[in-house]
Amino acid sequence: MKVREILLKLGIIILVMGLIASFPGAVFAKSIRVGGIMDMTGATSDVGKDYALGMAEAFNYFNEKGGINGKTIKYTYFDYGYRIPEALTKYTLLKRLKCVAIEGWGTGDTEALSPTITKDKIPYVSASYSAHLTNPKKTPYNLFFSSDYSTNARACLTAWYDKIWKPKNLKRKPRFACCYMFASPYCSAPIKAIKDQAKLLGFEIGPDQNVSLFALDTKSQILALKKFKPDVVWHGNTTMSVAATLRDAYSLGLGADWIINNWGFDENLPRLAGKAAEGAIGATPCAFFGQKSDGMDIVVASAKKYNPGVPLKKRLIRTVQAWGDALILWEAMKRADKAGDLTGQGILKKGFETFRNFHIGLGASDVTYTPTDHRPAPGCMVQQYKNGKFVRLEYVNLKKRWPQKWEKEWLGW
Amino acid sequence: MKRKWSPIKTLVAVFVGIVFLAGMVGCATTQGAGTASVSSIKPPTVKLVDVQLAHYWGWWYFSKKVKPTKGKAGNYGAPMDLSFVFEITNPNSFPVQLDGFKFTVAFEEFDVNTINAFETMWIPAGKTNQLAVHGMFDARTSLLSLLVTGGFKLKAKHLNVWQQLEKWWTGITTFSFPITVKEGAATFHAGGKTIVTSFNGKFPQ
Repeated sequence: MKVREILLKLGIIILVMGLIASFPGAVFAKSIRVGGIMDMTGATSDVGKDYALGMAEAFNYFNEKGGINGKTIKYTYFDYGYRIPEALTKYTLLKRLKCVAIEGWGTGDTEALSPTITKDKIPYVSASYSAHLTNPKKTPYNLFFSSDYSTNARACLTAWYDKIWKPKNLKRKPRFACCYMFASPYCSAPIKAIKDQAKLLGFEIGPDQNVSLFALDTKSQILALKKFKPDVVWHGNTTMSVAATLRDAYSLGLGADWIINNWGFDENLPRLAGKAAEGAIGATPCAFFGQKSDGMDIVVASAKKYNPGVPLKKRLIRTVQAWGDALILWEAMKRADKAGDLTGQGILKKGFETFRNFHIGLGASDVTYTPTDHRPAPGCMVQQYKNGKFVRLEYVNLKKRWPQKWEKEWLGW
Repeated sequence: MKRKWSPIKTLVAVFVGIVFLAGMVGCATTQGAGTASVSSIKPPTVKLVDVQLAHYWGWWYFSKKVKPTKGKAGNYGAPMDLSFVFEITNPNSFPVQLDGFKFTVAFEEFDVNTINAFETMWIPAGKTNQLAVHGMFDARTSLLSLLVTGGFKLKAKHLNVWQQLEKWWTGITTFSFPITVKEGAATFHAGGKTIVTSFNGKFPQ
């Protein structure tokens, strides 16, 4: 082949590449698929549906803002009806669809999937804030934005002790008991931790009461509690059964204060429990829907824009929680992409584990993950429902208050 | 016989190929990615036109106390597959892409399912497409959903949850109770813009 011929062929190749490069960007723009496994119809749909709506709205907003450094996010989500076997099949489907990360839901399915996602190296950001998922030695690919359930529980009990019990100056030990569905992994996750905290603060601990997530009548449990005469009771369920318990406690005159895990403490609680909700205290890992905080205007505007048929008064803190989990994944993906490694492992190592007090707004704690500790927040905001409004009771920073225990004892449970 | 390589012919062939490819891509982007900008999108309309009982197994429920002939014991309720048929009309002079379709289903006044479809489709300018979205219901999941989202309402109306489920699972063959589609949201894209249409519907109408 002559030199002239070679040069001509080279010229043609350059011309072709130039023409291809000048095609509209959208033709060759990549899209990144993120999966979602949500409960919109099942046993936790009282809180899961609003979370699912918020999650989809967040990803729509992210795409409005350029996706992942210009790459569109294709968010594909399924309802699994809180059936663990179905969550496993949906996970397989999302993996086949080449999702780089997944937004998940419950404690049961998240913990069941944990060994698989670790093997597959797919970051799984879930609405389960079980402390069992915070030790990266065991569950490196499980993440969430919120303080974990054990931190929530310890913080609620501590806030009640500081703000309600201590000012009373009583000369006896406070009495404490727990209500939760024993068989539910979500409900039972923080029980060991809250009892440990009760011992630490010098409480007398009474017998646990088994309250189903579907309970409409809890009179027998309340009557059992009355024998112990608790000063404060932890409720670890979701809103509906928490409301049923509070109503029965109110009508039977239990006289105890209630501290509630985050999935049982939302805008629906006073609607369902009425007067019985007055004074209830709960863990709030972020602001309530519409509550003043940075970024809330975007959350509310997106709810209006993408679900115009759902009245804003029906929207809950669950939407905001979904945004919290969506925002951390978005940031982790952007960081991994910038580092040229938008893979599961890249998202974890070059994304999440580079967070140091990452500010997500929405009234949430700033988020930190290190290669040895995936507890996102050192404490939790505890709020109280008082005179028809949710008001701040105390932000309890466990890490600051018990630094030794936080570092050496409390990780992973 | 070996043909002599001609740079001019090759250039022409490549150029024709590229023009053809560009044309194809151009069509695809007008139809597909919608890169041609539009000043505004008129919201397409979404109308529920039919609900069909696509697959049906009757009414039954087994608790985990019942020993199955095969497989594992558990709480199992009869499944029911409903197909919701919508007509989506594009009033614009350009095609729009449907990318996200979600709605809640209520039997009487009780929300029992929220369904989403993520497959995309194009609706030609001025035309109407039909979309059938399947919703799977099962008596176990509906029982739990009904208890957590409608439990207090049932209690206030002195309604028994089992009677309510049986009424729906047997009455569905004749659509003897109203089925409502509510809180519907369909997301459309065109020319880099996005619009969401909200929709509701009732069957039988």
